[in-house]
Amino acid sequence: MTILQQIKNKVRARSIHVAYVDVGSCNGCDIEVLACLAPRYDIEQYGIFVHNNPREADVLLVIGAYTPGWEEKLAMVWEKIPPPKAAVAIGNCPISGCLFNRRESFVDPPVKKHIPIAAEVPGCPPRPTEILQAILLVRDAVFANWEGEHP
Amino acid sequence: MKRTVDVNIPLGPIHPCFKEPARLKCEAKGERIVGAEVELGYMKKGIERIMKGRPWQEVMFLAERVCGICSVIHNMVFIEAMEQISSIPVPPRAAYLRVIANELDRMQSHLLANFSYCYTIEHETLGMYLLDLREQVMDELERLTGARVTCAYMIPGGVRCDMPRHNAEILSGSLDRIERDLRRYSGMFADGPMIALRSRGVGILTKEAAQRAHAVGPTARASGITTDGRLIHPTYRQLGFVPLSRTDCDNYARVMVRFDEIIQSISLIRKCLQDLPKGVIRGGGVCKGGETRYSGEAPRGELTYFIKSDEYGRIVDIQIQTPSIMNIEACCHEMIIGADSIADVTATFVSADPCIACTER
Amino acid sequence: MSGYLYEKDLVPQKYRILVSVRHDKLVREIASELEMPVQELRRYLIEHLDMILLENLPARAEAAGTKLSDNGEVATALGKEKYTLFIPILPVAAMDSIFRDVNERVRTGIPVAEAVAYGRAQIREALRR
Repeated sequence: MTILQQIKNKVRARSIHVAYVDVGSCNGCDIEVLACLAPRYDIEQYGIFVHNNPREADVLLVIGAYTPGWEEKLAMVWEKIPPPKAAVAIGNCPISGCLFNRRESFVDPPVKKHIPIAAEVPGCPPRPTEILQAILLVRDAVFANWEGEHP
Repeated sequence: MKRTVDVNIPLGPIHPCFKEPARLKCEAKGERIVGAEVELGYMKKGIERIMKGRPWQEVMFLAERVCGICSVIHNMVFIEAMEQISSIPVPPRAAYLRVIANELDRMQSHLLANFSYCYTIEHETLGMYLLDLREQVMDELERLTGARVTCAYMIPGGVRCDMPRHNAEILSGSLDRIERDLRRYSGMFADGPMIALRSRGVGILTKEAAQRAHAVGPTARASGITTDGRLIHPTYRQLGFVPLSRTDCDNYARVMVRFDEIIQSISLIRKCLQDLPKGVIRGGGVCKGGETRYSGEAPRGELTYFIKSDEYGRIVDIQIQTPSIMNIEACCHEMIIGADSIADVTATFVSADPCIACTER
Repeated sequence: MSGYLYEKDLVPQKYRILVSVRHDKLVREIASELEMPVQELRRYLIEHLDMILLENLPARAEAAGTKLSDNGEVATALGKEKYTLFIPILPVAAMDSIFRDVNERVRTGIPVAEAVAYGRAQIREALRR
């Protein structure tokens, strides 16, 4: 790996942009993601910037149990994100559908069927610290050695 | 009524200012908005359909997950409706603890709503202050109920866990701190000249329009309608609750009503802590069959459950009318019309505190 | 024929809203008041109102019921305000002309019930147009 690539790796891992998309949750996980912004958890001290714009994002947080309104559209959002990219499923809903995955409901979990998911954070809802930890782990796993793996 | 216009500006479903997906189609003449439509369908989970035919023990947790922001009130209204159907009495201590949990929930919800508004008008400093304050309220909620969100604190005939005396002392200490900070932040909002430019006179909802769309909660109270579900609740009547209202009808009034209500909630909790009766927290009881309509005051307004249950306490028919339905409707069909720019549209939409998860269920 | 580029056809979603318990009751009530088939009214609502307004229909109908009407027996029976301001299925101008028509009939001596029935037929016609 050249020095330039090492610098690239280092810089990339220190500036992660996050977008979140709610595909049909109860809102509980949404506000826990928002709580990560609070000065107590201070997501920006790790170089993570939450801005809801897929075109400049690196990590996509997927929240919710995948309702029919998102057919095609979630894949569209995923395609808009430039590589390197990773999707993190927040909460039980994208993993299993939680308690919405019953007879008569409209949801179609898991989200894994529709876009590739790199990490999953179970919990209904997970605590902000857990969400933060998942993003940091994804950063180390996907972005910290991107240049070495994709020469 | 639907019209065909030449300039149609869509906002959403993913938008930096919206917490949740909604598609807002603004019909514009130049930059002035002449009409707006909201198309939903991104959050429809069919929760009422899941609830049908299930026992109340299961529906209780489903009811909480109608909305994650104001989960305590959904729990409270569902449980109190079941209590009304089966005439289960509530011990006085449990009734007071319910009010404390509900008011803490209202505080965090209003703080989140005001954070969203400040974030949308790009006053990030004040937004972050409010979000930090919200974490302190969440701590208190967690200390009382055991969970941050979806805590399932209330059960028929009482509450799940008691509040020991040292917790009450910690709570009243934090309330003092929260009130001191909050007065400073609401003063910053009230006096900020730039905030006033973005908020005063923007998004007018007249009293008549609010009545027509059946607007509720802070949105209605900012338009001079003193409607509040807490007025008819027996525990709140014991506490001598008086609703607030403002007559400015604009975004500024809606945010300020929420600030005032947080301070009101703090004084209500103080009063509860002061005359907290001694005794049991669970009275017990059996859920029976019946049909009722029960309303409670959610942070966003009047929340109504229409419940029909059978003799074993199973839910036969249920319909939930959440406050966001009325408020978003009032917002997009009355407030937004006449807005001068698209930037005002997002600010006005957020000022009505929309909750799409509630709206679609 | 126009197609959809980004949006999907919203008719099934809107139909789901209209068949939930309270909405269904309200739609049936309005349909029986106007003496038109339920399916036809549903189709009209789906085509002309947006989703949030459909969700809000029962609350709006309730607001119309509690508002004290001060413009006379004929207007209340015809739903002059109910069908224009609260449940906006008719434009105000169309409703005004129907209301004038009905009032004219009442003045010429036709009983109120009969005149209102005529007015409802007119509303039905306007919805079908």
